[in-house]
Order: sequence, then structure tokens, then C-alpha cells
Amino acid sequence: MAALRAALWARVLSRTKGHGLTNMLLGARTASGISKDILPGPYPKTPEERAAAAKKYNMRVEDYEPYPDDGQGFGDYPKLPNRAQQERDPWYQWDHPDLRRNWGEPIHWDFDMYIRNRVDTSPSVVDWNTMCKYLLGFVGVMLALFYLGDKFPAYQPVAPKQYPYNNLHMERGGDPEKQPDEVKHYEI
Amino acid sequence: MSSLGRALGVLRGGAQMLGRGPRKLVARRAGGGPHIEAQYRQLPQLTKNQVFQSELLSSAMWFWILWHCWHDPDAVLGHFPWPDASQWTDEELGIPPDE
Amino acid sequence: MQTLIMTSSMMLIFAILLFPLFTTLSPTPQKQDWAITHVKTAVSTSFLISLLPLLIFLNHGTETIITDWQWMNTSTFNIHISLKFDHYSVIFTPVALYVTWSILEFASWYMHADPNMNRFFKYLLLFLVAMIILVTANNMFQLFIGWEGVGIMSFLLIGWWYGRADANTAALQAVIYNRVGDIGLIMSMAWFAMNLNSWEMQQMFSVSKELNLTLPLIGLIIAATGKSAQFGLHPWLPAAMEGPTPVSALLHSSTMVVAGIFLLIRLHPLMQDNQIALNICLCLGALTTLFTATCALTQNDIKKIIAFSTSSQLGLMMVTIGLNQPQLAFLHICTHAFFKAMLFLCSGSIIHSLNDEQDIRKMGGLHNLMPFTSTCLTIGSLALTGTPFLAGFFSKDAIIEALNTSYLNAWALVLTLIATSFTMVYSFRLIFFVTMGTPRFLPLSPINENNTSLINPIKRLAWGSIIAGLIITSNFPPMKNPIMTMPLSLKMAALLVTLIGLLTAMELTHMASKQMKTMPTQTAHHFSNMLGFFPSIVHRLIPKLNLILGQTAANQLIDQAWFETTGPKGLASSQMKMAVMTSNTQQGLIKTYFMTFLLSTLVAIFLTTI
Repeated sequence: MAALRAALWARVLSRTKGHGLTNMLLGARTASGISKDILPGPYPKTPEERAAAAKKYNMRVEDYEPYPDDGQGFGDYPKLPNRAQQERDPWYQWDHPDLRRNWGEPIHWDFDMYIRNRVDTSPSVVDWNTMCKYLLGFVGVMLALFYLGDKFPAYQPVAPKQYPYNNLHMERGGDPEKQPDEVKHYEI
Repeated sequence: MSSLGRALGVLRGGAQMLGRGPRKLVARRAGGGPHIEAQYRQLPQLTKNQVFQSELLSSAMWFWILWHCWHDPDAVLGHFPWPDASQWTDEELGIPPDE
Repeated sequence: MQTLIMTSSMMLIFAILLFPLFTTLSPTPQKQDWAITHVKTAVSTSFLISLLPLLIFLNHGTETIITDWQWMNTSTFNIHISLKFDHYSVIFTPVALYVTWSILEFASWYMHADPNMNRFFKYLLLFLVAMIILVTANNMFQLFIGWEGVGIMSFLLIGWWYGRADANTAALQAVIYNRVGDIGLIMSMAWFAMNLNSWEMQQMFSVSKELNLTLPLIGLIIAATGKSAQFGLHPWLPAAMEGPTPVSALLHSSTMVVAGIFLLIRLHPLMQDNQIALNICLCLGALTTLFTATCALTQNDIKKIIAFSTSSQLGLMMVTIGLNQPQLAFLHICTHAFFKAMLFLCSGSIIHSLNDEQDIRKMGGLHNLMPFTSTCLTIGSLALTGTPFLAGFFSKDAIIEALNTSYLNAWALVLTLIATSFTMVYSFRLIFFVTMGTPRFLPLSPINENNTSLINPIKRLAWGSIIAGLIITSNFPPMKNPIMTMPLSLKMAALLVTLIGLLTAMELTHMASKQMKTMPTQTAHHFSNMLGFFPSIVHRLIPKLNLILGQTAANQLIDQAWFETTGPKGLASSQMKMAVMTSNTQQGLIKTYFMTFLLSTLVAIFLTTI
């Protein structure tokens, strides 16, 4: 069976000898690149086109809002609110619970940014500006006080330890010939 | 015909299971020890061993702390007294009295 | 002879630990009880064997280095396999093995229902091997292998319940924050290879005497910041509590997170004369210990409280490195391993008994229901706060004494003392909410702590938390002269500050027992409760900026700038301008044509004459 198939292939190749190989290389559509079905369509101008585009993206016409037609190539792709998946209801029975997404739901243009592991847009208890002020204030105050603390260090005043025998001159490997003079730490 | 075959297959599987004999059950660790009945608004059921272990450990800790506090208070209070320089007399420092 | 016994038993430990890992390479699946019969046994046997070198070291002070195998060499740069059994590795290996042994036994109870328990144990064992490689490494390359090994095992184990997006996020956070730190380590290693031409530690120490090491030291500090969750790279540690409790106990409290500190301890001879690096360590550690202790004050998740207390203790170790006292930091690592692992095991026992409830507001009264766990929780908390003669006291008190008597940044001292008193506050809060008062959990809870594989590990670690401090300190000769005498106020500072914390906490609970305002609404409370707003800001801002910039760069910059503006559109617009100019001159005016002739003639003359 395999031998038969190999023979068939050989015959095909030999028949189109000359430009058969180049035809095969150049004529075939590349596997990469996006097919026309996947690309967004042209920007909808009339209400009918809008309705058709909304239906294509499984959306209601009221919710459908395309990106502005400013040459960025968004076409009729819907402009969805910038909300992260993390913000969605955790108790709803999603079709994909780990993505918090239903089947056939339109995907945000920046969906990769708003998946649950990445940017979170859920509302916080404290607003953004207050949070930034507090954190930067905390770090700033700490840095300033570290600078001050460096200027006024804490220490226990201690004198260097004094040892007998001329501060252990010989024991520390000093030269016996050059004994320094006995230092007197007091004066009476 | 095919349903018959399927039924035979099931039977064969069953026969194999029977023939394999009793399988060794894997030890379920969380089920070991004195088992406590499912309880709802009941007083705690403690085993004597459990209470004894806890009391042994806490008493051992207190014994360890107090025994060391009694025999080795230096570790907390300091091993050597800090010399108070203001208490030193002129005599100890070798300073002759003021003329 | 002693050296022979020491090295052979250390090699035996490696062999025993690696054996179960090699058996998993066989394609036939392991038996169901492989985790207990093989992995746990291997670890407990290795612990017993590791006592032998420890005893030899304690009796004779034997320390050895073995360099047997030359791994790879280029013309000027050799890498050996070189193991170092000095006082750090000989003491830390038994401690790590003891703690791991207890935690593995606990995990056999905690994870009994997990279908992949064997794989879980294999991961833990692989982690342990990586940790021992890190500890015994004598060159940077081996250390790096261990370092990355614990990092990747931490990623796998935090994301153990990979079906949950939160666990995945936590695992990703851990791995990304650790990579930031690793960049510091890699840069430093590159610097060492370039300037010192060696990765062997002894050579590095001796060659680097005259060099200015500030740059590589900052790289090492960044590495330690990432691994040991210091301020700036800390949010992964509390997030890592998404993993199973044994993982939190082993990796994120007692062994892996101290790897960063251990790196600095190992490479301390490089650091000891560099005042800038020491100052950075001191300030970073002080900031971390206060910040994370503040965060711990208002957390409601039992594991998060313990995680933040870990982070705070790591900050304290970093302070100690900054004080030029690596040995004290190492002591704290050893004692901390016992009681922190035990605290996590107790919290695991409680969580399991209360049907996976982690919120301390829904606990209470457990000292009646789970006397053993509550006892150990209390012992662990007391040891953590530095109650005299428990494990934490011997290291923590020594650290605070060293702080008080050193010449150091005053603000760092103040922060560390405040954090010490906060330790007592959150520990008391934990005990108060979990074990005291009246039960607040659901009335149908399967409370049962009568299981040997639950009780025994906790019991072992509890004994360790009580007596390990004295045993380790009395057998571990200090390398630097400790300060012998100091005023009573400085000696008692740690205890006094802790007592003040206790009194404050008791006063606060007294206030909380009355009916007051419903919810704390101050932003200060949110600051503490929302982890200092750090994750909320950083985890939203940086990915958003990166991803939006990436999107813009990919779409606008590449497509519009390169393919359009510089390509066809740019060509067209420049051609259009020239075409318009040329066509505008052709208007049939003779004067213009003559002027053009004249101009071009002039240009030609100029060009030819010059």
C-alpha cells in the first residue's frame, strides 16, 4: 500500500517536472497569516450594517459600539468596556469558569491584558489617588527618616579596649625592636 | 448482536474482578485514630490522650521557662552588671584628692 | 577519620534523598503508599544520618570541603563540583531535614485525598534536594543550581491546585518576583566571573580584597530581596499562601525563603567591609520588618498572618546581616524554622477541621475543641515573640541586643523595635481570635485532631520550638565577641517592647469586646489591610503599562512607523512635494526660465572652479 502511494507521488512529480515544484511552493497559501473570515469586516456606516455587525459578534445592537474609524484597522470590531475578567461575578455559572467567560461571547480587543492573571480593574475600597498618595508618602517618609537616622546614628559610646604589655604589641606580631612608647591614658 | 457482545464484555469484566480476589486497601490516613461521630451542636468529644498530650506539652513549656528563669536568670537580665561610672570613687580611679 | 565519616555520611544523605527520585523515572506508576514508604522514610533516615556529621562537628569542630570532580573548564575558567561542609551547612542540614520530615508526615494526613499525592511528595523531595545543594554549595554555580531549583519547585507547588486561577496567579507572582531577584544574582555572578575569574568561594574571598565590590553586592542584595521577600519584591510571599498548607510550612516559612538570607551569609566575607552594602541591608531589612508586621496586624486570613510574620522575621534577619552579624542571622534562621513550620502545621490542622475555613473571625473557642493544636499554636506564637528560653528568644534577643549596642542608623533601630512589639500584637490577636472566646464557626464541623500523622509532626516541632534554641546556641560558638555587658535597659529592650505590645493588644481586645462603631473606616486601616496598597498599585500599573506599550509598539510603531511612514507613505509624500515644486515653476514665464539657466550656470561655474 505504502509502496503504491510512493509510486503515485513519484508519477505526479515527474509529470509536472520543471515548474511543478515551484508551483507547489508559490501557489499554496501560507499557513500563517489570518484568513479573511477571521479579520474584522469594514467599518459599519449604515444602521443596517451596524445591526449585521452586532449580530456577527453575538451582541445586541444597543451594546454594539465599533472603534472609531481612524485608520487603525479595527474595522467593525466592537469596542467593549475596559473591564478585567477578574471583576466578573465569581458565582455565576460561566461556560469557562477559569476565564469567567461564556461561549460565543465577544472578546475584548485587549483580552490578553484583561485575563484573570494580569491586569485587574475591579474597584478597590480606596480610590487610586489616595492609594498612591499613601504608599508614596509612606516610602518617602521612611526614606527621609532613614536619611535623618543616618545623620544621627544610635550607638553606645565605647572606647577601644586597652590591653596590657603595650597593647599586646608583641602578641600581635609587632617588631620587638621598635617598641612604641608606653601610652599613658591618664594624667594626674 | 453487538449488544450481546457488550453484555458479554461486562460479564467478562465482572468475572475478572471477582477472580482478582480482595484488593489491598490503601491506608486512609485521615480516618485513623479515634473516630469522632459527625456532630451538630454537641459538646466536644475529646479523647483522654489528646488532652494529656496538650497538657503535657504546655506544662513542659512552662516548666522549661520557669526552671530556666530560676536557674539562669542572667540570660534575661544580663550576665555582668553594667558599671555605673558615677559611683566610682576618686580612690578607685587613683585620682589624688583636690588640693 | 572524622573527615571521612563526615563526608561519606553527607554523600549518603544525597544518595538516600535522590534514590526515590530516581525510582520515579521508571515508567510504571508508583504504588499508592510510595509517598510514605519511600519519601518520608528517606527523609527521616537522612535526618538520622545527618546527626552524625553534626555530632562530629560539635565535638571536634571538623569542617571540610571536598572538590573532586571537575565539571567543565574553558581555557581560563574552571567549574568544579565542590561541596562545603562547614558550620552553616552542617547545622542547617539536620534542621531542614527534621522540619521536612515532620512536614512530610503532616502532608500525608493533609493531602490524603489528593489523587496526585505521590507527585506532591516527589516535588517536596526535589525541593529538599535543591535546598541541600544550595546550602552545601561551595561555588556560585552550584549555589545557582540550588537557587533555581527551589525557585521552580516553589512555582510548581504554589500552583498545585492549578484549576484555580488565584493559585495560578500566585504561582506566577512568585516566579516573576523571583526572576527579578535572579537577575541580580546572574549579574553578580557575571561580574565575579569577569573580575575575579572564579566562582569558587575561597578564591572569590581572597581575590576580591582590593576591589570595589559595591556593584556586585547590590546585585546580591537584589537577589536576596527577591528570594527572601524584602520590601519591594515582597508581595509574592503572602500570595503564595494559595498553595497547600504543607507547602507554605516548608517552602514559605522555614527553608526556601531563607535562601536569600543564606546567600548573604555565605558571601558575607565579601560584604563585611563594604559600608554601603551593609547600610542598604540594614535599612531594607528594617523597612521590611516594620511594613510586613503592619500588614499582619489587620489580616483576617490565618495563613496570611503567619506569612506576614515570616516576612517580618526575614526583615529582622536582613537587619542582622546589615549589622555585620551573619551568625546571628543564621541562628535566627534555624530557630525560626521550627516554630514557623509548627505554626503553619497548626493552622493546617485548624483549617482542615473547620471545613477549609481560613478566616480567623469565623473561628474561636478552639482550645476546648482542639486542645493539642491550640497548645502548639500558643507555644509557637510565644516562641515567635521571643518569650524567654523558648527557641525564638535565643536568636531574637541576641539580635536586638546587637542592634542596641551597635553603631547604626537610629531610624532602623526604631523601626525594628516597633516591629518587635507588633509581633506580639498580631500573635496575640491570632491566639485570641482562634483559640479563645466562643466558637463562631458553623455548628457542623468535622473537628478531629486524633491522628498520629497529624499529632506526631506537630509534637516533634513543638519540642523543637521549646528546646532547640538553647541547644543550638550553646553548641554554636560565636565567631565574633558578643558584647558582654550592657545597661539593663538595653538588655531588657526586646522583652519590654514585647510586653508593651502585649498590653496594647489586650487593651485593644478589651475595646473590641464592647459594641463600638461597626467597621473601621480609616484609610490607615485599609493601608494595613490592603497590604500597604502595594500589590493594588504595582500589580495593576506595571502589567497595564507593559501590555499597552507592547500593543502600541506592535501595532502602531511597527505597522505605521516602519511599514507606512518610512515606506510607501514616506516615499510618496516626499516625491509629491518635489513634483509639486517642479510643476509649479513651469508656468510659461520667460524670466523664470532665464533665471533657472543663470542659476544652474552659476552653480556649474562654482562647482568647476573650486
